[in-house]
Amino acid sequence: MRRLLILLAGCGVLDASPLTLDNLPLGEEARPLLLRTYVPDPGLSKEVFAHHHDADSSPKYTPKTGRDIKGRYQPIPGIPAAVAVNHGPALSYAFDTTECRLLYAWQGGFLDMFPYWGDPDRGNRRSFGYVPSLVGTVFHQASGAPPLELDGRPVAELGDPDYLGYDLDEQGVPTFRYRFGEHRFSLRVAPLDDRPFSCRLTFRSESPGRLGYRGQEETVFDRGVLVVNLRGKALSEHSGFPRKMAIDRPTAAAGETLFANYGCIACHSTDGSDGHGPSLAGLFGKERPLTGGTTVKADDAYLRESIKDPNARTAEGFPPNYMPPYPLKDKEVESLVLFIKSLRDR
Amino acid sequence: MKPLLLLALLTPLIAADHRIEDIPLPEGVPPEVGGLDFAPDGSLFVVLRRGDVFKATPTDDPRDFDWQLFATGFHNGCGIDAVSPSKIRVTQMAELTEAEDTDDDGAADRYRRLAHGWGLSGNYHETNTLVPDGRDGYYLSIGTASHNGPTFEHTLGDYSKFGRRGRNFSAVKWRGWVLHYGPDGELTPFASGFRMHNGLHLDPEGRLWSSDNQGDWKATTPLYHIEKGNFYGHPSSLVWDPEWPDDKDPLSTYRDDLDAYNEHRTRPAIQIPHRGVNRSGSEILTIPDGFGRFAGQMILLDNNGTRITRLMVEEVGGAMQGACLHFIDGEGLRSGNNRARFSPDGRQLYIGQTTRGWGKLAEGLQRITAGDPVFEVETISLTPKGFRLELTADLAAGDPSGIGVSSFTYQSRWTYGSPMENKRDHKITVGGSGPTLDLAVEGLEAGRVYEIRLPELASKDRGKLRHRTLYYTANRLRE
Repeated sequence: MRRLLILLAGCGVLDASPLTLDNLPLGEEARPLLLRTYVPDPGLSKEVFAHHHDADSSPKYTPKTGRDIKGRYQPIPGIPAAVAVNHGPALSYAFDTTECRLLYAWQGGFLDMFPYWGDPDRGNRRSFGYVPSLVGTVFHQASGAPPLELDGRPVAELGDPDYLGYDLDEQGVPTFRYRFGEHRFSLRVAPLDDRPFSCRLTFRSESPGRLGYRGQEETVFDRGVLVVNLRGKALSEHSGFPRKMAIDRPTAAAGETLFANYGCIACHSTDGSDGHGPSLAGLFGKERPLTGGTTVKADDAYLRESIKDPNARTAEGFPPNYMPPYPLKDKEVESLVLFIKSLRDR
Repeated sequence: MKPLLLLALLTPLIAADHRIEDIPLPEGVPPEVGGLDFAPDGSLFVVLRRGDVFKATPTDDPRDFDWQLFATGFHNGCGIDAVSPSKIRVTQMAELTEAEDTDDDGAADRYRRLAHGWGLSGNYHETNTLVPDGRDGYYLSIGTASHNGPTFEHTLGDYSKFGRRGRNFSAVKWRGWVLHYGPDGELTPFASGFRMHNGLHLDPEGRLWSSDNQGDWKATTPLYHIEKGNFYGHPSSLVWDPEWPDDKDPLSTYRDDLDAYNEHRTRPAIQIPHRGVNRSGSEILTIPDGFGRFAGQMILLDNNGTRITRLMVEEVGGAMQGACLHFIDGEGLRSGNNRARFSPDGRQLYIGQTTRGWGKLAEGLQRITAGDPVFEVETISLTPKGFRLELTADLAAGDPSGIGVSSFTYQSRWTYGSPMENKRDHKITVGGSGPTLDLAVEGLEAGRVYEIRLPELASKDRGKLRHRTLYYTANRLRE
């Protein structure tokens, strides 16, 4: 947890602690943590992504032959260029630099960075599911066009959003600055009293005119400042990334999941193409040349050893001491062995 | 010349090696160094991949740095320019950001998006870095995505289905390009065809260089001399070239027509054997006068080995080419060498390391102080008949007629790296005197990489020859 340090005694200026290997970083209510990262999409509607572009599925491909193979890569949910901010358990929210609006807000936790930052001992990201996981209860989600209005006109009608940046106050609370067309606005988000599922949005405009907010929220507009008390309700619950995989008995399917979770594919292809480690396609049962001129049969025992103690023997053509040892449970190792066996005919 | 008829090598004198020191970051901080830079006042800024930026004034004792958290909140910041002691610019995944401490409390409070306009598909691999252009602007390298990860459903910027094809891909704009950012805010495409050009360098003569990461369409680790408008060989980026037809898939086009591919691409100035010399080129720097060895030559970090490569370039027939060999091989250097800067006095080389997410962890910060002069190949250049090598001292022992020369070619294609092909050995005749070795090479041809293997040689007072294998890429021959 991020703790506070009194940097300048007597001045009351608070300084944040740095990020650590803790995959559950948290800010404090008075001093938030601001993280730019890939941000999870809790299921926002398509209209919210008006200034994003749509990806498509794409044929799977192997660099071995330079051709497509069976299957398609599917795009996954995630937000590429948002800023996630956490005020401790009181409030988390995501502000998007592309749409220039609050995307969603949640309470009771922040982000589980494990899929992206990986296990501290290995630093391995999950290969196809590395978007951080939400922790807490989502209580507000954006929908439709941005709710902010200037003199009764929705900001989206003023022009395209253009993100400028943010300023931090003495407590590190960001005020986001952006434009719609030529009109400049700012937004500050803060926890709102002790009520659950709420936060306070403070909008300012540099253009003359009255700011308004579409919707049922309680708003106050005074001298160019619009305060919106956003009170939501529990929309979805999230408990981070499930770390533990219960394996009753070893299976190739469990092995495939472990293979993805540990990011093994970063070095070991499953289609026979070269990489930083040997391909696993067709490996099982083969005679494998080793550094030093000997060979070994790639059987269960060799695969087990190669996972638990990868530097005991090095496959020919690959550098020594390159793969870290994976101290997995026996059922996990056996599952990986079964998965590698299943690749024998590829 | 007459062969040196010395029966035994002189007793080698041991010249002191480089001194390599670990520089610890504050306790508990993951030292995953995305980038580092010295501000004009000599303070050191280090951007870490989780988002924090630390600042310190270097001290003689590497454990005495007064690390302060200067800024936070960058997404995989991999390039940093320390403009002043209170202002930095950082390339993160989606933008180039300026962070400034405006109230002089030691921490940045004003963050502004300076440049943007490249896409971000959501793939983990799409990191970027920068080099100042010397005119208040930057060259930016925009890395491609990897097929070991997906794209998001909603991307930042235009999406291209052809750009999405392949092993490393360019589904969104300017991935695989070098861009130029002008002080007027204008972003201009500069050169294409890169895969993971993780490190740009502008040398003192104003020439722009990068390496790239061996892989698909990169036969081996290259050194590129980057000139505006050129295509450097990775096809996916071409989908964003206004001159490339919209309905044409560059990947399959060039897979099926390597002749057209070879015609289009600009080849590396130096091809660096990836297992023998450098597995994954990252930062390039020119060695300053203060460092004591090889001033004016370039070094190239290996992000994937405990190595740094020395590069010697020369212009032949109007194009750049040259040779590579080890600068440091081991000696206590960590792997993961990602970014480097020479200290303002030029006497020390600071190196930031990270591999997180790619193989065995190798995270940290080290610095290297050059030791005494050693016996090395100082320069190599192509002659009409072969090569001239200048050593750092007179040759005093060893038989240079034992020099071996062989050559080979590389063809970049869709495969993950390409083998050495068309290998052959060359007969040579050795001449020269003192520190000079003149090699006449039979069958010298353009378009080949020459491996020059030196036998054990020794100098009078600088010990044995340190690094004995070098590779010269002869794109062209001398008239």
